[in-house]
Amino acid sequence: MSRIMDEIEECVPALRRYARALTHDPDRADDLVQDCLERAIRKRGLWRPSGSVRSWMFRILLNVYRNDLRKARRSPAPVSLEGLPGRDPAGLDVQPGRLALAETAQAMQALPAEQREVLLLVAVEEMSYAEAAAVLAIPAGTLMSRLARARATLRSLTDNGAPKLRSVK
Amino acid sequence: MSSEERKITEHDLHAYADGALDGPARAAVEAYLAEHPAAVGEVEDFKRQSETLRALYGPVAAEPVPHRLNAYRIERESRIRTVTWSRMAAAAVLLLAAGTAGGWYGRALYAPETPAQVALVDEAMEAHRVYSGEVVHPVEVWAGQKDHLQSWLSKRLARTLTVPDLRSDGLTLVGGRLLPAANGPAAQFMYEDDTGHRVTLYIIPAKEGRETSFRYASLDRLEAFFWTDEAISCALVGDLPRDRLQEIATQAYKQLG
Repeated sequence: MSRIMDEIEECVPALRRYARALTHDPDRADDLVQDCLERAIRKRGLWRPSGSVRSWMFRILLNVYRNDLRKARRSPAPVSLEGLPGRDPAGLDVQPGRLALAETAQAMQALPAEQREVLLLVAVEEMSYAEAAAVLAIPAGTLMSRLARARATLRSLTDNGAPKLRSVK
Repeated sequence: MSSEERKITEHDLHAYADGALDGPARAAVEAYLAEHPAAVGEVEDFKRQSETLRALYGPVAAEPVPHRLNAYRIERESRIRTVTWSRMAAAAVLLLAAGTAGGWYGRALYAPETPAQVALVDEAMEAHRVYSGEVVHPVEVWAGQKDHLQSWLSKRLARTLTVPDLRSDGLTLVGGRLLPAANGPAAQFMYEDDTGHRVTLYIIPAKEGRETSFRYASLDRLEAFFWTDEAISCALVGDLPRDRLQEIATQAYKQLG
């Protein structure tokens, strides 16, 4: 099989991670990844090795995600912390006692989409600023200011003073 | 000194925390941090945030990738679809001709394949490729134990299966096996003609219970006729000429129904 198919296949776990983090909905995330894979595979003849396959795949995934948001005028469903400790509705493993994670999960959903997209590419996908900017098709300066705003917003939502959550006996 | 320090911006702190700086830029930030404890705390915050996000989302990438996201499978399915469409006109003529005699397979001729049908053909072709070339263990249960084969696979698929007798089409039963399909168990019956050409019949339980017309697909020299009956979906696969394969499929359909 062609090399590009191997490279596409290698991207799948990271694409799933990014889609899950964007949507907090396992089924919808996998739907987006499937859509992304179908498009990429259909159009792989058009791909030119000027960038990495990974950047290209993430760009497609973001397009699919944004189209989906527009189509359904969806915004991420708010995560309730009432079910904690346990498994939160995002399908993410939130262990008892790991409230910091639950709190962060909730805060991430409150972030504006463009800040969330940037922060996840840099912090979780560990892309260079240049690659993240290319994926998002924005200038480096815009990337930096979105990243800074995302981190500031996330911090204000997670740790201002007294903990919002207390463990329940 | 202070002129140096003024050059350090918040963006530099982010870049430092993300390991995006090297050489002199990195050294400059380190010098700045040595004199600004508040900025150290900020950098630590950025790093801790990233670690928390990786702890939160990282495990998703370690989960097994679901079958439906297998890139090679999607690639094969896209080829099956393409071939089916490009041959639709020819297949339509063929099916219409057959339809005047049989009546039943003229229905819904132009309905597109559903994803489930494409998946069925893909799995059936994969299973055919893997086992039809097998010399020592082409089947799990040989034709000599046909009754056992029939009852065993009926039980596993929770459907009453009849192993079609295709001797009138010059095919003798080799045997059968149980296979894992995307949504549960699948049965495969294998036949061969006197020249050793093998044909396989792949069966999965049908959920919707909606009968479909006979459809035809082709990929890499393999041909398949597929259909859904009341309780089962079937695909007959072989590298025989299409009209020959259709005769066999018609025979199998009659006996399974």
